Amino acid sequence: MTEMFANLGLGFGIALTLKNIALCFVGCLVGTLVGVLPGVGPVATIAMLLPITFGLDPVGALIMLAGIYYGAQYGGSTTAILVNIPGEATAVVTTLDGHQMAKQGRAGVALGTAAIGSFVAGCFATLIIAALGAPLTRLALLFGPAEYFSLMVMGLCFAVVLARGSILKAFCMIMLGLLLSTVGTDLETGQERMTFGFPPLADGVDFAVLAMGVFGFAEVLRNLENPEARDVVRSKIGRLLPDWNDIKQSTAPVLRGTFIGGILGILPGNGAVLGPFASYTLEKKIAKDPSRFGKGAIEGVAGPESANNAGAQTAFIPLLTLGIPPNAVMALMVGAMTIHGIIPGPQVMTKNPDLFWGMIASMWIGNLMLLVINLPLVGLWVKLLQVPYRLMFPAILIFCSIGIYSVNNQPVDVIFTALFGLFGYLLIKLGFEPAPMLLGFVLGKLMEEKLRQALIISRGSFMTFIERPISAGLLVVAVAILVIALLPSMSKKRDEVFTE
Amino acid sequence: MSLNKIEAARSLRIRSTQDFAAGLFMLALALLALFLSRDLPTGTLRQLGPGMLPKSFAVICAGLGLLLSANSLRYNGEKLTGFSWRGVFFVLGAACLFGLTIRGFEIGPLKVPALGMLVSGPIVVLVSGFAATDVRPKELIIFAAAMTAGCALMFKYALSLPIPLAPWLLGI
Repeated sequence: MTEMFANLGLGFGIALTLKNIALCFVGCLVGTLVGVLPGVGPVATIAMLLPITFGLDPVGALIMLAGIYYGAQYGGSTTAILVNIPGEATAVVTTLDGHQMAKQGRAGVALGTAAIGSFVAGCFATLIIAALGAPLTRLALLFGPAEYFSLMVMGLCFAVVLARGSILKAFCMIMLGLLLSTVGTDLETGQERMTFGFPPLADGVDFAVLAMGVFGFAEVLRNLENPEARDVVRSKIGRLLPDWNDIKQSTAPVLRGTFIGGILGILPGNGAVLGPFASYTLEKKIAKDPSRFGKGAIEGVAGPESANNAGAQTAFIPLLTLGIPPNAVMALMVGAMTIHGIIPGPQVMTKNPDLFWGMIASMWIGNLMLLVINLPLVGLWVKLLQVPYRLMFPAILIFCSIGIYSVNNQPVDVIFTALFGLFGYLLIKLGFEPAPMLLGFVLGKLMEEKLRQALIISRGSFMTFIERPISAGLLVVAVAILVIALLPSMSKKRDEVFTE
Repeated sequence: MSLNKIEAARSLRIRSTQDFAAGLFMLALALLALFLSRDLPTGTLRQLGPGMLPKSFAVICAGLGLLLSANSLRYNGEKLTGFSWRGVFFVLGAACLFGLTIRGFEIGPLKVPALGMLVSGPIVVLVSGFAATDVRPKELIIFAAAMTAGCALMFKYALSLPIPLAPWLLGI
C-alpha cells in the first residue's frame, strides 16, 4: 500500500511539471476537437494525431497521447448526446437516453453528468491501475511463451464473443486480421511473405495505415452513403451542473458503472466495449420504473458513461503489465510507444518507472482536465457540430492524409491507406465489424513469435500448452466462453444486450 | 412426393445475399493468400517454417467463408445493398493524389515533381469535396485555401514535422 502511494507520488511528480500539464491539456483539447466530429472514433482520432507527438520525449508523448485518448472518448460522448451519432461502439448506449435528455432541453445536464461520472470513474480506475500494476507485473514475469500464446488466444476468443453482430463474422474478422499480420518479412528466416515482391510491404502492413483506412476513410465513405441524418440539438443546452436531485439519482449508477466497466476493461480482448452495455442493462433492471429508460433517464447516461471511462482506463492494464493490447486503441499506443523506443510489457515498469507512473498519474490529470475544458467549451462543440458534412469530411481527409504521411514520411502509405479504405468499405457493405480484425492483426505477430518460441522449447509438442497449468487454465477459459456464447439461450441474450 | 422435392429445391436459395457475398469474399482472400504463400516452406512442428501460419490462417479463412456462404442458404439475413462508387472514387482518389503529388513520382514516361503540401492539400479538399452530392464549388475553394493554410501553420510550424510545403516554389 505504501509502495503504491510512493509510486503514485513519483508519477505525480513527473506529470505535474508545467510542460507535462500543458501537453496533457493540449492532448485533451485536440482529442476532443477531433473526437467530436461525427463518425470519427477514438481509433481514427489517435491515428490522425499520432504524428503530433513525434517531436516530444517519450514521457511527454505518452502523456499527450493519453490525453488525446480521453479527449476522443469524451468527444464521442458529446456527439452521442448532442447529435445522436455514436463515434464508436461504446457510445451507442449514451445516445439512447443522452440524446433524449438533450431534446428535453437538458443537454447541459447530460454532458455535465457524463463528465462528472467519467471523472469519478477515472479516479477509481487510476487507483485500480496503480494497485494492480505491480502485482500483475510480477505475475507477468512467470509467463513463458506458452502462457503468452494461450493468453492471446483467450483474448481473441473474448473479442469474438464481445463483438457486435454475428459470431461467425467476428471470427472471420479475427482470422483475417491474423492473416494480414503475416504479411511481410518472416522474423526468423528473413523470407518475404505475401508481399507481391513490393518493397514497401517488406516490413508488413503498418498498423496506423490499416487503422486509418478501415476506421477513417471507410467511415467517411459509409457516412457519405447514408444521407445525412444529423439531428443537432436545436433547443437550449441549459445549465451544465446537475442539481441535487440529479446527483442523488446518478451517484449509485456512477459507482456501479465504474465497478462494472473497470472489471470488464481489464479483460484481454476488448472487454471495455461491453461495460456501457452491461451497465445500462443493469440500471434498467434494478430501476423502480424501467419505462423511463430511453426517454431521458439520467441513470442511463451516468452509469454507461462511467463504465465507458473506467473501462477505457483499465484497458491500459493488460498493455502496461503484459504488453498485450486488449483493443485497437491500445494497439495504437503500442505503435506510439515503439516509435519512442519503448516496448510495452512487464519490463516497462522496472526499466522506465518514470514513464509508467508518470502516465498513470497523467490519466487522473487528464480526467480532471476534461472536466475543466469541456464544460466551458460545450458551446464551441455545438458550433463545430453544425458544420455541414460536405465540409467536414474533406477536412477529415486532409488531416488523415497529412497524418499518415507523417508517420513514416512515406507518400506510398497514403495510397495504401486509400486501398485499405476501399477494403474497409467492402467489409462494411458485407456486414463485417472491423474492430476484431484490428485486434487479430495486432496480436498476430506477437502470437506467431510466442508460438514458435513455445514449440522450440517443447521440441515441437503442442502438449506444452495443456501441460503448463497457467496456460491450460487460460485455454479452458477461452473454450468455455466460446461454448457459452454459442449456446442457443446465451446467444439470444447476447443479441439482446447489444440491441438494447 | 414431387411436391416435397419442389419445396426442398425452393428452400435452397440465397436467403442473405450479404452473407453469401461475405463468404465468397473470405474465400477469395484466402485463395489469394494461399496462392501468394505457395512457395513458402511450411516447416515442421518443431521448427515452424515461414509458410506455416499464413497457410493455416488462409485455410481457416476459407473454411469460415464456406460456412458463411452455406449458412446464407439456411438463415434469412441482410441483403447486399448498392455501392456508391461516387464516394469511393472521389474520396479515395483524393487521398491517392495526395500521396502521388506530395513528394512527386515517376511512373514510366509520367513524371510529377514534388509539389508539396501547398498544392497537395487543396487537391485533397477539392477532389474529395465532389464526393458530396450537395457540393458547392465556391465554398469548397475558399475552404480548401483556409484548410491548407491552417494545416501548413499547424504541421509545419507549430509541430515542425518534415513535410514539404512547396519545394518547387519556396524550396522547403
